[in-house]
Amino acid sequence: MQDAPALRHGWRPSWAVGRIDWRRMRSWHWPGVLSRSLAAVLGGYAVAALAATALALWLPTSRAEAVLTGTMLSFALYAGAVLWVFAAASALRAWVGLLLPAALLGALVWLGGGAG
Amino acid sequence: MKQGFRQCMAWLHTWSGLLVGWILFAVFLTGTASYFRGEISDWMRPELHAPAAGGEPAILAIETLKRLAPDSPTWFVFPPGERNSELRVVWRNPPGKPTPPGSRGFGNMVLDPATGEPVTARESYGGEFFYRFHFQLHMPPLWGRWVVGFCAMMMLVAIISGVITHRRIFADFFTFRPGKGAGRSWLDAHNALAVLALPYHLMITYTGLITLMLMYMPWGVQAVYKGDRGGFQAEVFGVAPPVRRANQPAPLAPVGPLLEEAMRRWGGPPGRIEVQQPGDASAIIRLTRRDSEQISSNPQTLTFDGVRGTLLGASGEPGAAAATRGVAYGLHLGRFASPLVRALFVLSGLAGTAMVATGLVLWAAKQRHRHARAGRAGFGLRLVEALNLGTIAGLPTAMLGYFWANRLLPLHLADRADWEVYCFFLLWGLAALQALFWPGLRSWATQFAAAALLGLLLPVLNLLTTHRHLGVSLPAGDWAMAGTDLLVAAFGLLLGLLSWRLFRRAGRAPVTRPVRGAGLARAEGA
Amino acid sequence: MAALGFGLAYAGFLGLCLAMDRHHAELLRGRPAAGRRWLLRGVGWLLLGLSLLPCLALWGVGIGIVAWLGLLTVAAYSLVHLIPYAPRLALWLGPLLPLAGLALSLAPT
Repeated sequence: MQDAPALRHGWRPSWAVGRIDWRRMRSWHWPGVLSRSLAAVLGGYAVAALAATALALWLPTSRAEAVLTGTMLSFALYAGAVLWVFAAASALRAWVGLLLPAALLGALVWLGGGAG
Repeated sequence: MKQGFRQCMAWLHTWSGLLVGWILFAVFLTGTASYFRGEISDWMRPELHAPAAGGEPAILAIETLKRLAPDSPTWFVFPPGERNSELRVVWRNPPGKPTPPGSRGFGNMVLDPATGEPVTARESYGGEFFYRFHFQLHMPPLWGRWVVGFCAMMMLVAIISGVITHRRIFADFFTFRPGKGAGRSWLDAHNALAVLALPYHLMITYTGLITLMLMYMPWGVQAVYKGDRGGFQAEVFGVAPPVRRANQPAPLAPVGPLLEEAMRRWGGPPGRIEVQQPGDASAIIRLTRRDSEQISSNPQTLTFDGVRGTLLGASGEPGAAAATRGVAYGLHLGRFASPLVRALFVLSGLAGTAMVATGLVLWAAKQRHRHARAGRAGFGLRLVEALNLGTIAGLPTAMLGYFWANRLLPLHLADRADWEVYCFFLLWGLAALQALFWPGLRSWATQFAAAALLGLLLPVLNLLTTHRHLGVSLPAGDWAMAGTDLLVAAFGLLLGLLSWRLFRRAGRAPVTRPVRGAGLARAEGA
Repeated sequence: MAALGFGLAYAGFLGLCLAMDRHHAELLRGRPAAGRRWLLRGVGWLLLGLSLLPCLALWGVGIGIVAWLGLLTVAAYSLVHLIPYAPRLALWLGPLLPLAGLALSLAPT
């Protein structure tokens, strides 16, 4: 992707100079942005919560330790999910990339008996 | 495609930072002030004396509690430490006894550490106000904590995406070019503040989330303990659930020998003494180690039989995850004994505050640069500039005004503590109004000048209104009082320098009608 | 001890900074030769590593590492601010700060 202003002023990152070219980033019209924001905030939280629960149920340590580990790690996973959502090539891919791990983690939680 | 990824991250960094930037600024600044929570509380109750050589305050407090709350099921004593001279007792009111609204069933009193008698200090929330504000924003606790948690999550995302965006992170490591126009200096400053204190920013954001993690992420506890949070806490911290009353009167064991035992084991006095079922045969006394002596704030406790005074148990070594949580918690609170380490935390906290502020100003500067040709600022830009001015300059003014309110409000005003808080918001509101109606460089300069005056003159106000001014507190080594006076004055000096530079810039900038959104950016462009 | 840690950290950052073309030109004129660049870089990293030791000695491992990161931040920040405003002072402080720190930590208390 061409980024002429950034090349001219090599010392500063592109965002300091040029605006993001919305036409080139096809899925970045506002429905796309809205969809991604929802995916990031709600979907990301769901993935993080499922991961925290799955780790709490399955980590091979004492249950208190497992719960603490899962809960503490969940925020990093949340941040990772948000980055993924906004880095994905399209909003659709972003959602799919959240739903797959969510399904997997959900299955783990269900098997671990945490759903009841 | 690599460029595309970086652009996405730049977009994410800009918006995740901008949307919550003003709240983050407030959280960072009041959070940094909270490093001095104890000192500010002391400063705001000048009637309390520094601990005098006398009886052991904790023993005196227990004697007072025997009179004040003989039928309470639980007493707590917080003895004065190096960082605060306050001796506070809290007790749970017996069930079925009517309590004043808002007290949540607890009684709460400050005692004179020399005599153990209740003192009548002025009503004030002290440093507690800033501390609570930094995680619940003076909103209903549940709402406030979720809002701050959301903003902290956005901050975490902004930090990571910012690092990805900043491709010349090492090449520009030492770069700072003041006085260059068009947002370049703001960008340099933002980068330097962010990169050089990056470990602190990451640490304080993540550990902040961890301090309230059971509220934000209760699902693990929910699934494994089926919602039994008490059982979870007991397993993590090794603290037994409260004892049951035996309903057999028995005198409480003397506390002195227990304090000596704690001293012998920890090398310091406890930070908290808890007595369960005092005056009953089932009584226990639990001492908790003061958290300034270790990096972790996992509570270390000694539990004694409350009648015989024998040691019943000491909290064991926590597991790896519990220890990690304790370290995270302790790092966030930063209650270290060493003044130098605390100073480093305070400086890093100020760097974080300034990082958020420069980020917000940078956004406005870039937008204004872009709009310069169009001749008129859009609504978004004007909104951001008003919010920037109202927050970045308005909040320090309001915080310093809170100190003034503490000294100037009549001592016996009803709901005095609440009025101090109203003054804080009143000043902040005025600053916001100025930002709305008179945006521009001059308003920035005058607001910083006002804040600088409030800060610089605070020691003078203290001299006029109390007998514990610098002339007394410095020779006496009364550091809570003198330190607060001096640090606030130093902060005022800093704001004064800022204001002076802004006034000079405003004088040089082309004379424009001071309407419709001329911000800091105008001088930058000029 | 803390002053020694700070001085070493400052000197270390100064070394790394001088190993860069732009800052070498700003502070000493000209570009550094390859050998000199590697020397500066090596000494810089070595001093940064050494600055950890006083912190560990003073505060122990846990708080020591925390304090060290804080000292690094303040040292780097001082350097970054001195370069545009007082480049000669920035340079001179490189050897002076560690020496002063050493003197302070050896001085009888």
